[in-house]
Amino acid sequence: MQNHPSYPVLSQLLEKYPATGGALFQVYNDLTLAQKWIDVEVLDLPACKRAAIKGKRPTPDTDRVPSICIVVPCSLSESISTSWLRAAFTSLDPLPSEIYVVITSEDTSTVYYKISQGIVKPPV
Amino acid sequence: MSLINQTSRPNASLKPSSRRAETSRVYAHLLPIIFPEPTYKFLGLSLTRPLNPHCTALFDPLTRSAWIPSSGDATLLWQRGFFGKGDLSRSEPSWLARQINARKMKGKALTSEEITAKRRAERKQFKLDRAKAIAAAAAEAETAFNEQGRVIAPGIAPDGTRIIPSAATWKPTSAPVPSERSPLDVGPDEEEEMEPIQDLEHLQLSLQEAFFLVWALDCLTILHPQTNVSFTLAEIWNTFQNAHIPSLVPQPNAPSPSRFDNPFLVSYVAYHHYRSHGWVVKSGIKFCVDYLLYKRGPVFQHAEFAIVVIPVYEDPEDQANSPFKLQNAEPFTWSWLSTINRVNSQVQKTLVLSYITIPAESRVSPKVLSSPACFAHYSVREVVLRRFIPARMRD
Repeated sequence: MQNHPSYPVLSQLLEKYPATGGALFQVYNDLTLAQKWIDVEVLDLPACKRAAIKGKRPTPDTDRVPSICIVVPCSLSESISTSWLRAAFTSLDPLPSEIYVVITSEDTSTVYYKISQGIVKPPV
Repeated sequence: MSLINQTSRPNASLKPSSRRAETSRVYAHLLPIIFPEPTYKFLGLSLTRPLNPHCTALFDPLTRSAWIPSSGDATLLWQRGFFGKGDLSRSEPSWLARQINARKMKGKALTSEEITAKRRAERKQFKLDRAKAIAAAAAEAETAFNEQGRVIAPGIAPDGTRIIPSAATWKPTSAPVPSERSPLDVGPDEEEEMEPIQDLEHLQLSLQEAFFLVWALDCLTILHPQTNVSFTLAEIWNTFQNAHIPSLVPQPNAPSPSRFDNPFLVSYVAYHHYRSHGWVVKSGIKFCVDYLLYKRGPVFQHAEFAIVVIPVYEDPEDQANSPFKLQNAEPFTWSWLSTINRVNSQVQKTLVLSYITIPAESRVSPKVLSSPACFAHYSVREVVLRRFIPARMRD
């Protein structure tokens, strides 16, 4: 892993939070290399004991401005709770209307879930 | 030969029967080890040795997995038994092919991710068209009522045809237009001068897959990530059990204390059980289950069975003292079971609850945990779940 180009960006946070390091590494690579997000930066969320990722998600229509999304990785072996999700929202500044929780598996399967505060009507 | 080919004739132009034949040819071998036709027999015993590819992997403690650095080994392990998953792709490592396709901007031989993306874009367009049509029809009904007091059925035009598109009848109105290339764009000669893209993807094996290849098939060697020294079987055995201790370096010493309910051991029992019955076992995270069972492989048909691993402690004391909190070891709720069953029935999979019995430390000495021989003390029982609707299921 140390030879991977993403490692230098993440090394500090990987050492600080080794329990969620695998998930962070996998999600960071998925967003930057496969999903091609832009302006990706990594945030430290001590309240959730992990790092989060902020970036702009590319939209297929060129006239829409890419929206800034926050992604919080976690692994399948963890158990999460609503207080954990609330801590994720409150520790982010500015307060986002929604965050994406990403659950990773050891074989690199990644599933993204959009979490909003309160009930939100589906778009279409 | 990978099915991802940018230069040769794309698979989509072949007839379905020849495509199936091609797929069967590529994925003919069910395991990485090949047993060749015997050329010489002595007293009825074949003397030809099985062909062993001897792949190598690097252990990564942070992602709790084994990485296959060589793309040749990766293709081999995927094509012979569907082991592993590309870390930037849906299944087979296809990231480099997608980048090269994107660069050429021709995209004739689409990888599976691109086909799915295209299908999703079309479905999104269909939903937008349908939403607009519904809104327009409702507005028309409103105006008709307000102006003339007439109630018309929304969605039906005066001549009786439906104006709300349905999934079966909708066609994409504008075909995706490939961007026009001006003469000043990168020509074929200049493309070759552009820097070759470094392949940043690898095939990743879960610990269960890696241990199966190492122990059951003996076709994989695992190396230490920094020193490149190969692990002995005993070191692999200990390192994999210690994998859930968060760490940046492998821990090859025996876990203390060794426990029967180590998460690696419990999940490996299930993996080995189904693999040895010939199923292709993949991760089931997308369907809220532990494993998916494929009869031949993901490229042939969708998975038929979804496995949820439920560990059962022979001795409740062991559960009380356990440092691990195994998933599904507590009694589950009906709502949880119904949710999982619904999700899987919707995708036409049968839910199977796989009960793994964890032996009691009072009956079996934990000394047996020093080797994989301890697996003999675990047992697996399956319970198949189907929804039963008495009113509807008589036909």
